[in-house]
Amino acid sequence: MSTDVMIHASNLTKMFGSLAALDRVSFDVHKGEVVGFLGPNGAGKSTTMRILTCFISPSSGTAKIHGHDVFESPLEVRQKLGYLPQRAPLYGEMSVWEYLRFSADMRQIDMGTFKTRLRKVVEVCGLAQVLGKDIRTLSHGYRQRVGLGQALIHDPPILILDEPTSDLDPNEKAEVINYIREIGKERTVLLSTHNLAEVEAACARAIIVSKGRVVADGTLDDIRAKAGNVRYLVTVDEKNAMTGKAPTATVVRDALAGLAKVQSVSETPSDDKAHAFELAADKESDIRPEIYRLAVEKGWILLELRRDAKTLGDVFRDLTRGESLHARGLADRDDEDEDEDEEEDDTDDEADDDGGDDEEQDDRESDAGDSKSKSGSSDKKKKD
Amino acid sequence: MKATLTIAKREFKSYFDSPLAYVVICLGLALLGVFFFFVHGFWQVDRASMTMLFSYAAWGLGTLIVPVITMRLLADEKRTGTLEMLITLPVKDSEVILGKYLGALGLVSVLLLATALYPILMFKWPWHLGPLDTGPVLAGYLGLLLYSAAAVAIGLMISSLTESQVVAFFVTFIVLLVMHKVADIGEFAPGRLGEIARAVSFEANLTNFARGLIDTRNVIYFLSITGLCLVMAFRSLESRKWS
Repeated sequence: MSTDVMIHASNLTKMFGSLAALDRVSFDVHKGEVVGFLGPNGAGKSTTMRILTCFISPSSGTAKIHGHDVFESPLEVRQKLGYLPQRAPLYGEMSVWEYLRFSADMRQIDMGTFKTRLRKVVEVCGLAQVLGKDIRTLSHGYRQRVGLGQALIHDPPILILDEPTSDLDPNEKAEVINYIREIGKERTVLLSTHNLAEVEAACARAIIVSKGRVVADGTLDDIRAKAGNVRYLVTVDEKNAMTGKAPTATVVRDALAGLAKVQSVSETPSDDKAHAFELAADKESDIRPEIYRLAVEKGWILLELRRDAKTLGDVFRDLTRGESLHARGLADRDDEDEDEDEEEDDTDDEADDDGGDDEEQDDRESDAGDSKSKSGSSDKKKKD
Repeated sequence: MKATLTIAKREFKSYFDSPLAYVVICLGLALLGVFFFFVHGFWQVDRASMTMLFSYAAWGLGTLIVPVITMRLLADEKRTGTLEMLITLPVKDSEVILGKYLGALGLVSVLLLATALYPILMFKWPWHLGPLDTGPVLAGYLGLLLYSAAAVAIGLMISSLTESQVVAFFVTFIVLLVMHKVADIGEFAPGRLGEIARAVSFEANLTNFARGLIDTRNVIYFLSITGLCLVMAFRSLESRKWS
């Protein structure tokens, strides 16, 4: 193990009764990295973090923080760590200052050092306005900041933050992410979340867990690449053409499908002036010139041509898809069924307003599902 | 050790951040006064004796005050999740238990000290209601302190077993009540069983103190209960790791 490994987890397994919350989870986090720890709810993110902070013990496997074993020297481990548990549980009856002072006391920080550290923490976390207020009177956003503050008060080399942005409004989320980016400049940070945008904003690397197992671990680009292919968005004018007659959707579709390296073509919803298609192709080559040439040759008016990689969100859904299907008792069905089931689920999501933490994720999922279902239905229409 | 005191200090202070500490102290003193002077009839007895004060104080502590003070110690922290925050600070589980214990015992001690106002006001200044034998009073207070130590340990242990304050309160209340009165039940039990009931009863172990007699058997009795319950609370806290 090289010396700059700050967090080392090896084959962590945690059983709750007969349920394996973690199944041989292994990863390393190196000095100075800000790593996003991603996964759906119940995937084992918090369990992993609780093991790393010595709150619970693994059923088997080992973990080391800053070279200290979590089992043998929990106090040394905790000295090196700043930890913010999920939902920032703080003593509501204490004022912010009292709470920070309490954390510092517990970490044997003397008054002089505390004052200099406090100034830094107040600046980084934006706590100047609330120092004298009771914690119970603060908004969620401020509580998270106080939680971050107590995690930073002893200037730890490693930070473990469990869903620091859950329950926050979009502005607060953005702020907290900014603080984390600021903090991450000189520290090692492991940050759990199920919000992909945050990972893209704050982290260079992500570990994706699903059903207690690590399903992907690497830089964000690597993880995106893992999904394999890229997609092209092509929109052709429906009413007008450079030469001859305006093309019908079937003609365009067949012509696009005839191009080399195109794996699949599907129509996407658009207004009645245009035909829009989504093409999937492997990521090694770029077929935009071919598409352009095709359009020129046929005399179509090309309104849009765009190539983009799969988003992290797509990758995340692909990797953790099995879990949600499993939860719905559909794990063993084949692909076709999956799509249909997802549509069904979407209506559930819409009906269910109190989505809570998952809201954003669900929205994305249902958006994707909607477009899929629409394209599916328009495909059917064309065939008819 | 410093961490223990920090936790104890925080715990003690947090009682005064809510109305709880004030209510407990004021109500405790008022009720004690009512029972001592009117129900027991201090004036009718016509003797400078505080024996009954200790009896009532022990009753009040056991049945009401200790359960109220200890119910939230760990149960509430488990429910709100602050326990995770506390334990992941560089602190041993044993220090958490001991800190919480000392914090709660601190509040009970304050209440005990406050009850000392009665003998002082009545027999020292401003009134002199008669010659008070200070020996039994001091021994009585020692007994009450030991008794509180054991009762708070029991409450802490029960609080460590549940996430609900209400459950913690009622279970502690019942356990302390039974422990207090088990000697009375023992009256009806035959032979050996009755003796055992008397030996483990709080009330029976307190009578000697109130009469001014410090018996090592009674001291050891209270201290062993304290120790045993603290160890069990510690184990219960530790068990989160393996559940």
